[in-house]
Amino acid sequence: MARILAIAQKDLRQNLRDRKTFLFLLLMPAAFTLLFGFAFGKGSDGRLAVGYLDQDGGLFSPALKNLLQADLRLVEQPGQSQADLTQQVRDGKLAAAVIIPAGYSQQILADSPLKLQVIVDPASSASATLQAALLSDVGRLLMAVSAARAEGEVDAPAVESRLAAAQREAQAASQTASQADAAKPSPLQPSQTSPGMMAQFAIAGLLVASQLLVEERKTRAMQRLLTTPARRAEILLGHSLSIFVLILAQLLLLILFGQIVLKLDYLRLPWATLLLAVTTAACVAGLGLLVGALARTDEQAIIFSMICMFLFAGLGGAWVPLEVTGSAFQTLGHLTPVAWVIDGFKNIIARGLAFDSVLLPAGVLSAYAALFFALAVWKFRFE
Amino acid sequence: MNAIEIENLQKSFGTRRAVDGISLAVRQGEIFSLLGPNGAGKTTTLAMLSTLLRPDGGDARILGHSIKHESAAVKASLGVVPQDIALYMDLTARENLDFWGRMYGLRGGALRQRVDEVLEMIGLTERQKDPVGKYSGGMKRRVNIGAALLHKPKVIYMDEPTVGIDPQSRRSILDSVVALKEQGMTVLYTTHYMEEAQELSDHLAIMDSGRLIASGTQQELIQLVGGLDRIRLAINGDVERVLATWRTITGVKQATVEEGLLMLLVEDSNQALPRLFESAAAAGVRITSVEIQEPNLEAVFLHLTGRALRDG
Ligand SMILES: Nc1ncnc2c1ncn2[C@@H]1O[C@H](COP(=O)(O)OP(=O)(O)OP(=O)(O)O)[C@@H](O)[C@H]1O
Ligand SMILES: [Mg+2]
Repeated sequence: MARILAIAQKDLRQNLRDRKTFLFLLLMPAAFTLLFGFAFGKGSDGRLAVGYLDQDGGLFSPALKNLLQADLRLVEQPGQSQADLTQQVRDGKLAAAVIIPAGYSQQILADSPLKLQVIVDPASSASATLQAALLSDVGRLLMAVSAARAEGEVDAPAVESRLAAAQREAQAASQTASQADAAKPSPLQPSQTSPGMMAQFAIAGLLVASQLLVEERKTRAMQRLLTTPARRAEILLGHSLSIFVLILAQLLLLILFGQIVLKLDYLRLPWATLLLAVTTAACVAGLGLLVGALARTDEQAIIFSMICMFLFAGLGGAWVPLEVTGSAFQTLGHLTPVAWVIDGFKNIIARGLAFDSVLLPAGVLSAYAALFFALAVWKFRFE
Repeated sequence: MNAIEIENLQKSFGTRRAVDGISLAVRQGEIFSLLGPNGAGKTTTLAMLSTLLRPDGGDARILGHSIKHESAAVKASLGVVPQDIALYMDLTARENLDFWGRMYGLRGGALRQRVDEVLEMIGLTERQKDPVGKYSGGMKRRVNIGAALLHKPKVIYMDEPTVGIDPQSRRSILDSVVALKEQGMTVLYTTHYMEEAQELSDHLAIMDSGRLIASGTQQELIQLVGGLDRIRLAINGDVERVLATWRTITGVKQATVEEGLLMLLVEDSNQALPRLFESAAAAGVRITSVEIQEPNLEAVFLHLTGRALRDG
């Protein structure tokens, strides 16, 4: 046990002496979270500024506008045409624009709803935010209409009262009152990007950890360890422990950053947050040992780590929320640990769910940790 | 009493027999040198003796413990100074020693005190807080040795600990090896520098191509060369061509080139020298210097293998 601690302590000392560690593990994720979180959400409220044009003026457009306003900062100027909006989007004055087409309400009643018209650069990240907001808001409207219809009274007040009831329910589910207005997060607000970047840059820890192992093998210090009474299991555990502690510390600092700077309520369920942080760190520790086991050179350590990071972060929804993707992509994404990290943290900070909602993500992450660790032990070379 | 007993140790890498059945005994408290050129199998032998490599055949006992069956006991009684500088370059000398001490099971005040002693011993007390990566080659070598001494091992292996360093650092390392012996440690020392083996060893063995070609005290080994004289010559012509002719001259037992000089073992230099001058004149080259020396380990190696210990 003393040897395991000595090895872990030695590794941590080496890591902390390396400036790269702070850059990759703390500065970059904090910077990226801020960048993604606020750059696209123009205005201090962090919502997208979206032009709004109502060509319908029908029964349901006020209700829809109401819904959209929770997620988007709607900019409505009298007398504007579709062409004006297009120009403003192109000039970057607006992130996007939404047009409620004429006859929209009518077509809902006729049971063949029209699509909303959207003006946005499809390559911009605002596009994903907007699509996600529209998808969920239109969905809510249609559900309220069909609920009203089931009771035979399809008029605006009936629909609006159903929407209001649904809203109250959502608020009740989220336990703190202060959460209420943030109950419907838009995808690129900090509640999305903070867990995403946290997961992505926890994997960046591989870089630091695996390079250490490669270096130890290269200088033959690892072989020298085997001439001492230290056992192989102690050496592997010592190295894993150091990665675990490093990543756990990283996550806890980023969680504090989220709580204090981004006003995300990670501490609403402190034990759930801790459980996720611990299982995430264990998962990265296993993966770090695996990359350290497989990489023969420094370059390989960097390449393997980067592949893991980009593959897992990209597929797992750190950049584009899985909610706005198709079901095939969602399934694929959930093959990566990152998706489960994000799911778990979002259940806490955005979805207002209870402690047991993190048990599945934490369980999956533990299983990944065990898998990576087993592979690493199997493949580990000491020379 | 023998500290190390090696019996018919063997190790192959593919078809190459790196260690080809060596047997020897090292007495407790002595310095024993394994002298051999590059690729002789010295490091491979030490790797087996420190349980890093499993022998293909044979066994060895370190203080009575079999390297095959009691590796834990072997490791606990050993200090190993590897040929490579196996240290953490971004940590200081003190941090390195502290870490290796903990690997050997030391801790607390005892560890601190021992680290102080070892720093003193390797002469790095002043520089203990500098990262090892910033040290000179000689200083790194000294830390490399220090890291194996923390737990006061009874037996210590040193694999070419003086390679690539300045004469002053080498001197200090050789002195500390002798100091270790005086503290009662048994030292198994490998080198391809004959002078070191000659200066340090109580007993030594000469290794070549995985085999021991001779072993004993220095006197015993030099007697192998019998009454032969050792001559070193410089010429101002094509060394290789002259070498070929001189090998055929009566009385010349062995001839080789070392560091640009011709090195010969002859039965009697009084008779051999005139013939050498004659032959040189016939070939149109001048002999520019001649030195007749006592036979040494270099000569033994030449005598036994027909090659120089160090090529070039
Ligand atoms: N891991 C290995 N795989 C294959 N061949 C090896 C390995 N280690 C050593 N050898 C070969 O075994 C032979 C003995 O090597 P070894 O390192 O033991 O020699 P040495 O006497 O220590 O030489 P040097 O003075 O250069 O350190 C060499 O021919 C070497 O190429
Ligand atoms: Mg060697």
